[in-house]
Amino acid sequence: MGNEFADSKGDKPVVVACEHVLREISNYFEGDVDPALRQALEEHLAQCPRCQSIHDGMRNVIALYSDEAMFPLPDGFYPRLHGRLADQVEGRRLSRRAWLVSVGVSGALAASAVCAAVLDRLVPRPLSEMSQPARRLPQRLVAIVDGGKIFHVPGCPFMHGTYHMVTAQEAVLEGYTPCTRCMRDALRSAGKVKPDFEGEESAGGATDGK
Amino acid sequence: MTLAPRSDPGHEHEAALIVRIQSGERELFYELIRPYERRVFVIAFTILRNEADAEDVAQDAFLKAFKYLAQFRSESRFSTWLIQVAINEARQRQRKSHLEIMRPITDQENEDGTYTPRDFTDWREIPSEALERKEIREKLVAALGSLAQKYREVFVLRDVEHMSIEDTAQALGISAGAVKTRLLRARLMLRDLLSPGLDGNWATNSQIPKGTNPWS
Repeated sequence: MGNEFADSKGDKPVVVACEHVLREISNYFEGDVDPALRQALEEHLAQCPRCQSIHDGMRNVIALYSDEAMFPLPDGFYPRLHGRLADQVEGRRLSRRAWLVSVGVSGALAASAVCAAVLDRLVPRPLSEMSQPARRLPQRLVAIVDGGKIFHVPGCPFMHGTYHMVTAQEAVLEGYTPCTRCMRDALRSAGKVKPDFEGEESAGGATDGK
Repeated sequence: MTLAPRSDPGHEHEAALIVRIQSGERELFYELIRPYERRVFVIAFTILRNEADAEDVAQDAFLKAFKYLAQFRSESRFSTWLIQVAINEARQRQRKSHLEIMRPITDQENEDGTYTPRDFTDWREIPSEALERKEIREKLVAALGSLAQKYREVFVLRDVEHMSIEDTAQALGISAGAVKTRLLRARLMLRDLLSPGLDGNWATNSQIPKGTNPWS
């Protein structure tokens, strides 16, 4: 089929070439072609086995993939999803406790690392280490003050100005570092941090070891 | 054959649910997301091509949607907004995992360039039992997974999840024209990958050359 494509003008029929069928075949299935072009495409398809083959193949592709059930969900998908949502959606106090426990675990790890850090306090720490506690709580939502470089636990008194919320993971990936004050307070409230953690600030805010 | 988008739950019903959730009836969030739980997983899976990561991302997306529900503007469709959140989560996970280095060779193609189908193998009808066969479903998933991400994203939203062209464009942050262009290319490539189709010995002998470019 080598006919040239021409626009419909008056009674002049629309004639399409194979190349035009190839460009329009997807729109044809969408119903996104005008009636004159649609008729021309169908006339072409009726006479051109090669384009008809493309038409049939595309039709089959659309039909085969039309059922999302083709993608089986992992066993236990719904219970795990709802279990993870429960703390947030239902506002359980357990959520807070669970978070504090996890902070506490991080704090315990951090405190042990701080002991080592004290020994080489004068050695500058890379920013990636400062963000280690945040990586332990990757989905924790934290606040970034617009124009700042530090992320905070929401409500931190050392946070000023407008802010937006992201996950700790995102904040780390974007190069922000944690506020050691509110992290310190969070760790302290978890009851897992020894007083010497306060010396951490002067060590550059690192809360984890190498 | 004309495709019509699958109807979403009523916009007004969802808007009312969202108001009630924001007023404190937080448990209604489950009802709000129920129609989209599978959809979010399927989209994440199509992007990440890994079941465990997709489940994790789906959970993260729903959690984030709950957290940021106050920022949702009711003139938008909740499903589109939720899917935007899920796509962003999946893309972030992908960047973190450095999966982009496994990008198929098809990413190098010029989207606006001409395309020549690999062959003209006849593939007229689909046996009715096709989708009941696990190996065929696996072939379909593998074929889709072998496309470049920009084609996978458009195809899964439009042809698997039956979102409209406009909603697909909004969810992906691209123009409707780009959606149509990518959709055409995705459908043609899948047609090539799946030919000779079910008329031949596709289900038993053919191998889908993942990561290759058989239509060049």
